[in-house]
Amino acid sequence: MTPSEGEGAGAAGAAVEHPVAEVLLCPSCTSPVAAGERFCEACGADLGPPTANAAASPTTPPTATRPGAPELDATPGTCRECGGDVAQDGYCTQCGARAPSPRNHFTEQPAPWVAAVCDRGVRHTRNEDAAAVSADPEPGGHAVLVVCDGVSSSTDSDVASLAAARAARDVLAAGRPEGTGTVATRVAASTKALVAAANAANEAVIAHTAVGPGNPASCTFVAAVVHGRDLVVGWVGDSRAYWLPDAAAPRLLTTDDSFAAEQIAEGVPRATAESGPQAHAITRWLGIDAPDHTPRTVSLDLDVPGWVLVCSDGLWNYCSEAQDVATLLATTSRTGGADPLELAGGLVDWANAQGGQDNVTVALARVDPGHGDAATAPHTQPTSATGSTPAAHREEVQPDGHILS
Amino acid sequence: MATFSADVYQNEFLPDGGTDVHAIVTVACSGAGEAGQSGSGDAAEIVLVDTSGSMSGENIAAVQLAAAAALDQVLDGVWFAVVAGSHQALLAYPQDGSAMARMDERTRAEAKRAVAGFRADGGTAMGTWLALATRLFAAVPSVTQRHAILLTDGVNQHETPDELSAAIEAARGRFQCDCRGVGSDWQVAEVRRIATALLGSVELIAKPAEMAADFEQIMRQAMGRGVADAALRVWAPQGAQVLFVRQVSPTVEDLTARRQEVNALTGAYPTGAWGDESRDYHVAVRLPAKAVGQEQLASRVQVAIGEAVVAQSLVKAMWSNDDTLTTRIDPAVAHYTGQAELAEAIQDGLAAKAVGDTDTATVKLGRAVQLAAETGNDDATTRLRKIVEIEDAGTGTVRLKRSVSKLDEMALDTASTKTTRVKK
Repeated sequence: MTPSEGEGAGAAGAAVEHPVAEVLLCPSCTSPVAAGERFCEACGADLGPPTANAAASPTTPPTATRPGAPELDATPGTCRECGGDVAQDGYCTQCGARAPSPRNHFTEQPAPWVAAVCDRGVRHTRNEDAAAVSADPEPGGHAVLVVCDGVSSSTDSDVASLAAARAARDVLAAGRPEGTGTVATRVAASTKALVAAANAANEAVIAHTAVGPGNPASCTFVAAVVHGRDLVVGWVGDSRAYWLPDAAAPRLLTTDDSFAAEQIAEGVPRATAESGPQAHAITRWLGIDAPDHTPRTVSLDLDVPGWVLVCSDGLWNYCSEAQDVATLLATTSRTGGADPLELAGGLVDWANAQGGQDNVTVALARVDPGHGDAATAPHTQPTSATGSTPAAHREEVQPDGHILS
Repeated sequence: MATFSADVYQNEFLPDGGTDVHAIVTVACSGAGEAGQSGSGDAAEIVLVDTSGSMSGENIAAVQLAAAAALDQVLDGVWFAVVAGSHQALLAYPQDGSAMARMDERTRAEAKRAVAGFRADGGTAMGTWLALATRLFAAVPSVTQRHAILLTDGVNQHETPDELSAAIEAARGRFQCDCRGVGSDWQVAEVRRIATALLGSVELIAKPAEMAADFEQIMRQAMGRGVADAALRVWAPQGAQVLFVRQVSPTVEDLTARRQEVNALTGAYPTGAWGDESRDYHVAVRLPAKAVGQEQLASRVQVAIGEAVVAQSLVKAMWSNDDTLTTRIDPAVAHYTGQAELAEAIQDGLAAKAVGDTDTATVKLGRAVQLAAETGNDDATTRLRKIVEIEDAGTGTVRLKRSVSKLDEMALDTASTKTTRVKK
């Protein structure tokens, strides 16, 4: 897509491809419910007041489906094990097998170059991870990868995390940087969009927080926005983004908001800190009780072919170092090919084979600046604000993105 | 409008290869209202009292007071009758040729006069009393809730055990019957057989003077049961086996044999009338083992009134290789497993003692002392102390007492099925 011409058409196209109508899940039975509905059609649970997103984009055709949206359909009517009827309670009326909840494993692939796989893992009974992605049809365009990891000690985190991921994705898909500005202005625009996305995600979590006692719903947040050669990442918590170039040093782009990360900053070796008893205690999160949900952000020039990987700790628990992730990706692609959906699924399977102690989510975008570099003007000069790294700029910016002006 | 709830307490985790799932289901009813007031039919009460020759003197006077006290509790509009039982059953009230009368000021006064005319005479054939009650209830078609009180003071001498069994079977499902024995000359096992079949209680009234208060309490409870009949439904998956269904609170009752098929996978277990109360059930299901990591439903436990399911809870099974998950026994399951074994140990111990098998009696009652201590059933411990000298409750080491009051033995026997609630 060429952003310099026909911006209106581009925006309209984006609206059709990425309708922002919210697909929500019933907090009681996890059946999908339409935005604005007060009660779940499947189980009758009270869904509370409509969320802010329910009112968004009234022009969106109600029947529009998002490419690659997970088929989070209601409980299947027929048991996969024995062919019997599945009851309202989610179990087969004949053999008692649990009908798999679509929430427990879902995939998205909005375009051939972008995909996400979100899985319950082995040990948890609920999938509180969530992923939401969007992409222009052609590689090298605009892509958004969002992963949220629901905090398992809180109530309804599975519902809240999915709502948060989708809200953020919708903001970032719609709010793409347009025009032919400098790299710095494009990055600044994406950074602003990330802050807006985190706000929307936070609102979504709060909208799905059950009233009354109990831990309020909360989740982590990480979003990667690929726009041609520009990558901007924002995060709150310990979900991560990696840049894994085919033929250069891989990099962990995020710094966890976690107790372990604080220890690492104080000199404790990563392996020690991340296996300690407090390793998974996060210091920042989204939710009604979040002290601060402003994302930390980082940007990078994707000047060589490679993969942008966004994941929850269900994956990086087993391969924290960037080099380990890169090796795993290379190994997996040798056996399973280079389709991002296959690859993401392969990484999830690998994490489950390691024990699957947590929910596992992997989102991938393939970047190949040599092909179809349509979204951005060529990088004719160093793009880093500081020039600290020749091949890429990596600059933590203030939430308002002003440093990159 | 009565509302039911059903809550499950279980450890759903099974080890690799594990097959047996145990769960305690607490069923609670609220808003039950009063007997016969629900609009779904009338309620009926029959008082069946022993007027055999052995009742003469203090007992017959106490029965007259007790029957009158019970009649005072019967709500206006409820159908009722009074039967005087000996080797035959006589309809003492109504005497106008009809089977039952509706309670009002006049009929209450007439019935009390009839009760005051009781005379102790004849033998004991409880089967005939039950048979007459069955006929009387059946004669009033508008009645949907049927309850009786049966009082005896002696052994069922004037009919064969088979005749009594036949009468019990004919009455089963037709009415509920709470049974009381006064004094020490009746047989607990014989009367328990009636009470168990007819979804009622059995208790000892040690002294005739206590009879009136007891009858009043039974009748007040019966009138507070606005739900005429509810059934526990237990679904188990294809290929599974329901090992047992047992009420464990307030008393232990094995319901397994009461199963009535709803469909191939679902059995209904009648639980009788309900007031505002809660009862606990222990459901055990054996499943074909599945692979570690798999989950399935072991049972749907439902409360049904007629064909309507008014509450449901799910018993689950999840196979795991995590010992910390699979080795834990749910406290409620552990508690009631112990309480059920306690009831059995007491009854077996007393039965052994009765036939002179001192060794078995000592072992069984010792185990009972141990279980009562473990499950915190202090009432059972108190009653056991009257039968055995406890040397060490922890190991169940006891000695049988030399001289034991027959009434103390009967008190222990009749109360053996009473359980304490699990501490949650």
